[in-house]
Amino acid sequence: MTLRWFLLVSHALFCLGVFGMLTRRNAIAMLLSIELLLNAAGLNFVCFSRIFSNAQAQTIAFFVIALAACEAVVGLAIILSLSRHAKTVFADEAKLLSG
Amino acid sequence: MIALLFIPGVPLITAVLLLLFGRRIGKASAWLTVLALASTFFMTIALSDLVFAGNRIGFSWVWLSQASANWTLGLSVDGLSWVMLVVVTSIGTLIALYSIGYMHHDPRFSRFFAYLSLFCASMLGLVMADHFLLLYACWELVGLCSYLLISFWFEKSAAAEAGRKAFLTTRIGDTGMLLGILILFWSSGSLQLGNLAQVRQTLDPHVLTLISALLFFGAIGKSAQVPLHIWLPDAMEGPTPVSALIHAATMVAAGVYLVARTFPLFTPESLNLVLGIGLATHLFAATIALTMTDIKRVLAYSTISQLGLMMTALGLKAMPLALFHLCMHAFCKALLFLGAGSVIHGTHQQELEHLRGLRHFMPLTWITFLIAVLSLSGAPFLSGFWSKDAILLQAQHTMSWVFWSLVLGALLTATYLLRLYLRCFHGSPSSDAKHAHESPAIMTAPLVLLAIFAAGIGLVGSPWMHHLFFRIIGVHEMHEGIEIGMVALSAALVLGGFWLAWQVGFRRRQLLPASLRPIGQWLYQAAFHKYYVDEFYDKAILQPFYAATRAFSRFDQKVVDGAVNAAGSGTWRLGQWKERFDRLIVDRAVNGVATATRNLGLLPRLIQTGIVHPYLLMIVVAIVALAVGVIASQ
Repeated sequence: MTLRWFLLVSHALFCLGVFGMLTRRNAIAMLLSIELLLNAAGLNFVCFSRIFSNAQAQTIAFFVIALAACEAVVGLAIILSLSRHAKTVFADEAKLLSG
Repeated sequence: MIALLFIPGVPLITAVLLLLFGRRIGKASAWLTVLALASTFFMTIALSDLVFAGNRIGFSWVWLSQASANWTLGLSVDGLSWVMLVVVTSIGTLIALYSIGYMHHDPRFSRFFAYLSLFCASMLGLVMADHFLLLYACWELVGLCSYLLISFWFEKSAAAEAGRKAFLTTRIGDTGMLLGILILFWSSGSLQLGNLAQVRQTLDPHVLTLISALLFFGAIGKSAQVPLHIWLPDAMEGPTPVSALIHAATMVAAGVYLVARTFPLFTPESLNLVLGIGLATHLFAATIALTMTDIKRVLAYSTISQLGLMMTALGLKAMPLALFHLCMHAFCKALLFLGAGSVIHGTHQQELEHLRGLRHFMPLTWITFLIAVLSLSGAPFLSGFWSKDAILLQAQHTMSWVFWSLVLGALLTATYLLRLYLRCFHGSPSSDAKHAHESPAIMTAPLVLLAIFAAGIGLVGSPWMHHLFFRIIGVHEMHEGIEIGMVALSAALVLGGFWLAWQVGFRRRQLLPASLRPIGQWLYQAAFHKYYVDEFYDKAILQPFYAATRAFSRFDQKVVDGAVNAAGSGTWRLGQWKERFDRLIVDRAVNGVATATRNLGLLPRLIQTGIVHPYLLMIVVAIVALAVGVIASQ
């Protein structure tokens, strides 16, 4: 019973993350949204680990946290160099890859 | 005897020096030439002891060694060549001396002497060559010098044309001679001139006849015998000393020398050819000489006629007599030409009409000219007498009709020479003659020296000097004593000639009865127009040749040029078509592919905004779609 709630929370978090990713112009805000996505996934792992009594899933949850930290580091570094070169942190103003 | 190299070498080096530095040497070049030629004369005289002993002296180098034959190059002197050497060097020296006076106003003074030296060098080489190849090379060099000297005053178009005519006409003969040499080489493998008698033993008589006839053809060209005689009268356009040296004394004698040198090769058949051509030339040219009105042209035809006499002697198998007459004629004719040159120099006229009574104004020229005329006419005991008489005697012993033809020829010779002499030096002086002056000493000195030769040199072949001349060239059995009948005949011929010349040539009497006058007139006109030989060649050879060249030219322009132009324009048009094909089809295909690729690229370009949000949206949409798909499929 409780599982449904947990899954609802994680779904809500995921949807918030997607929404934030798609709507925020600020790259830092987009990074924050990605954190929401990762944490929603992590929450899912933890929930299913509890229900199926499987410790492996919890290990993956840890990896997700570590991954999130790495992602933050790399993402912030990119944003830093973007702000240095393009004098902006708005993702839609950086369109060097425009075809 | 490597020293023999000096004889042609000294004039050759002189010629090269003068050609290179003539301008700087200037007037001294004449004396250089005289010195060079005189030195060759003395060298020749120095050889006399060896030659009189009957030796053949010489040397030769092998310049090309082959399995079949050794090609040698060398000079040699025997009696025959020695006699020629004496003639060439002595007359050459005197003429060079004379030219100093004759040419002293000429702007190309040193050039003239360079050619003169070169001519003497090649003539000496020709005479001394011991191999057919060297002989042929010198033969051609002589022809070249003749060309250069005839057209020496090339500003006159007549002189330039005469030079060309001489060169081309003699080339025809030279081609025959070259063929003869080649056949000789193919059939015998040897081109040495020294051993022709042995070569004769090994060859088929028909081949020998062919070879000797071809060699004689070369002599016809060079010695101006009948079919190819046309160049010599025209060659009188050259300076008079050249006429004297080349066209009287030496070069034209080269043909006679060639026949004499290769005499062992001649078979009875080819000797008959020589006899026929020689006799025809002798009479033919003599009749033309009777009618000519230009002093030099009379002498030119006289030269042709006398060369014909030499050929006749050769045809009578009397090679030594031909050579003897060659030498006597050389001195007489050189003197005659130099005398004519002196007349031209003194009066600036060479037409007989403008020359009369010159004996009062040019005494030395007059006396020397008279001596030459008498000598060449065969007046007893002068040089020409000895040689002509010997030939007549020989003819009498062999063929009577030849003898009577030669008697007629001798009468004609005396007539035209005396006619020339009388009209130049006798009668009341013409206006041109009154302004005449005797030539300077540098011109008259050679005249006097030559006159001494022309009068007396014949004695070397006379019984009084035991036929010294003939012993030099290796003939020992000669008729001893003088035939009184021959002396009388010669004297009668000269007197008859004198009478004819006096009556017809000088006083213009009409001797023929009235009924024969049209025939005489007709004959005179024919001879005066040189029997229309030039016209005949013009009509028979030159005009068809020109017509053929014009036809070929038209063919070239119309057909060949047309084909070439058609091919050109066809290619051009084809190129245009290909260009259009390239431009319209190939280029368009290539460009079309490129454009299509670019336009296709425009479509994906629309989604490649470079902004991160649309990408994200696409990812989300795709995942949702996948999820929906997966769920729906379960």
